[in-house]
Amino acid sequence: MVSLAEDVAIVAFEQTPSHAHFNDSEPAMIMPCVNSVIEQVGIDRHDIDFTIAGSCDYLSGMPFAFVMNIDAVGAWPPVYESHVEMDGAWALFEGFVRLQSGDIDTVLVSGSGKCSPGSYREAFSLQTDPYVHAPIGLDPRTQAGFQAQALIAAGKATERDFAEVVSRSHGNAKNNPYAQLSGDLSVDELLAEPYVQQPLRRLDCPPTSDGAAAMIIARADKARELCDSPVWIRAIDHRIDSHHPTLRDLTDSSSVRIAAERVGLHDGPVDIAELTVTYSPEEIILQDALGLNGGTTVNPSGGPLTGSPFMAVGLTRVIELARAIRNGDGRRGVAHASSGPALQQNLLCVLEGES
Amino acid sequence: MPQLHDVDYTLEYPYTRTTGPVIGPFLTGLRDGRILGQRCGDRVLCPPMEFDPDTSATLEPDLVEVGPGGEVVNWTWVAEPSAKHPFDRPFGFTFIKLDGADTALVHAVDTGGDPEAMSTGMRVRAQFATERHGSIADVYFVPEADAGDQVIEPGDEPVAITEHLIGLRINEPLYPHRARFAQGLLDGKIIGQRSPVTGKVYVPGRGYDNMSRVLMSEADEVVVSDVGTVVAFTELNPVQYYGQTETEPYVRCSILFDGTDQPVIGIDIRDMTVDEMRVGMRMRCIWRDPEERSVEDIDNRYGNIPEAVYARFEPTGEPDLPADDLKEHSW
Repeated sequence: MVSLAEDVAIVAFEQTPSHAHFNDSEPAMIMPCVNSVIEQVGIDRHDIDFTIAGSCDYLSGMPFAFVMNIDAVGAWPPVYESHVEMDGAWALFEGFVRLQSGDIDTVLVSGSGKCSPGSYREAFSLQTDPYVHAPIGLDPRTQAGFQAQALIAAGKATERDFAEVVSRSHGNAKNNPYAQLSGDLSVDELLAEPYVQQPLRRLDCPPTSDGAAAMIIARADKARELCDSPVWIRAIDHRIDSHHPTLRDLTDSSSVRIAAERVGLHDGPVDIAELTVTYSPEEIILQDALGLNGGTTVNPSGGPLTGSPFMAVGLTRVIELARAIRNGDGRRGVAHASSGPALQQNLLCVLEGES
Repeated sequence: MPQLHDVDYTLEYPYTRTTGPVIGPFLTGLRDGRILGQRCGDRVLCPPMEFDPDTSATLEPDLVEVGPGGEVVNWTWVAEPSAKHPFDRPFGFTFIKLDGADTALVHAVDTGGDPEAMSTGMRVRAQFATERHGSIADVYFVPEADAGDQVIEPGDEPVAITEHLIGLRINEPLYPHRARFAQGLLDGKIIGQRSPVTGKVYVPGRGYDNMSRVLMSEADEVVVSDVGTVVAFTELNPVQYYGQTETEPYVRCSILFDGTDQPVIGIDIRDMTVDEMRVGMRMRCIWRDPEERSVEDIDNRYGNIPEAVYARFEPTGEPDLPADDLKEHSW
């Protein structure tokens, strides 16, 4: 079991719907989320000790775009503030670590991204190796295609398995008011679609999405004061595989296996898993590397295949899990966020409701 | 009458990177028509690396020629190439284990657009681009049977720097409040937004009041005066960075329009020198004729008033306002 200096809980959370196009600025997208979480706990903005955001300037197409986003969290009088050029789930990680020092009580975490004005394939090709990958535009969808092909070649999955992930995700999303895509799609219907990145079809890939999410986390005493049903963060861990896709086994995820061990995933029941399945084959790899069996409900929200605002999508997994636990759909579960292509970086967060 | 437009621009950065003792010879090799791998124990790594990927131990540069033939060990078909891909027609992205190498290189295979030609285990061969710059993009691959013989003239100096111009195209409509601001300028009006919480007037509006964290809409919009006060100025001496279009020094100032609470920054003055500028000086916008106005430079990001809508800003001749009273707005 992980030993923490301070117990930390999620006391409020909010997300926007996953928009195909949000026709206003990123701060205007984040602001209602921030206002909602502050309202939920009934405190003043200036009672928040630390704010941290995750976003990507390349996605916004503007240098220092993240500075504008501070407009949404309220930067006057001056606040103690930080930013990660990562998904909001990593902002949560920094906020969680920050609370471990025990000198502050509350952290406001946000994540946001607008993919619709640009091309996420082009933006995220820039996080690959700058000498041998980025100059040929090696994009995340291509790397997902490699991963899918490797699974098929190893006999670990078929295109039908990928379609089953898509079909179940879209079906689950029918109950998710924030989802961008949802519906009843049969596996045979899906397999009849043309390839966009053989062996991947359009719906094996995420939609283009804009969205934001926000959360307040607090140290134990403060959490109980602010909220009747805190959801406890039992552990977070982040592990990285090589950025050279040819130097790792694409059909497995050693970083997920290590992270699962580090967070003590199987020290208790795993009722729900909210996984950043950006491309359908990733769910097969994640289920295996996490050691999930039939007892775990996977992506009851529908997951990123049904709405994928990059930079908010990982934090949204944590929110979906917290909501499910609050609703009593399960008592303990794991949220997963990913960064880099083909599950190169993985973050796991174990949440638990009040005993 | 001038029209509003979508925002459509390409953000570019020219990156130059030093290549180091292993990537340098590798890129020099590509320019000269050869592919080099790096020895690592009894293995050969291609792409070459400065470190052992298993132990992270530093490797002494020890390069050996590999290829030009190789075997495809993984592939995916790119049905819709992006603007940054090596080909503008569908192609295969592949893992290629070059003859003599033990690790695989990610690269593109051109089959003339035919996905049926792709398979794991297929033989491919390197082809070199006509123009080579010491970059991974100097080479591409084709099925072995399609490969032609090439005579490559080696270059002179080793490749110590590799250049990569990155570019991201951004395309979206003007946000509703930006469109109304732009239309206002075409109509010779400066439109601001009045905060429903504090009553402060912001020009141009951003769709929200960031002090009170409240969204604002068309109902909060007001037409403000086109007469105001200089609250800050500077002289710009254009540095000739990539994409710079200015060559001569000019004055840039911020003007607080009457009745507003936030100056419009980045107003360019071409007919006055920096010595003629004063904080507190009263200025009036002299608009261009309506048919000459353009808001093409208006995007969703920056908040200034583009030069294409005004002929000049002219001192009104009124007495200056005390600079001390403007301190809150000196930005």
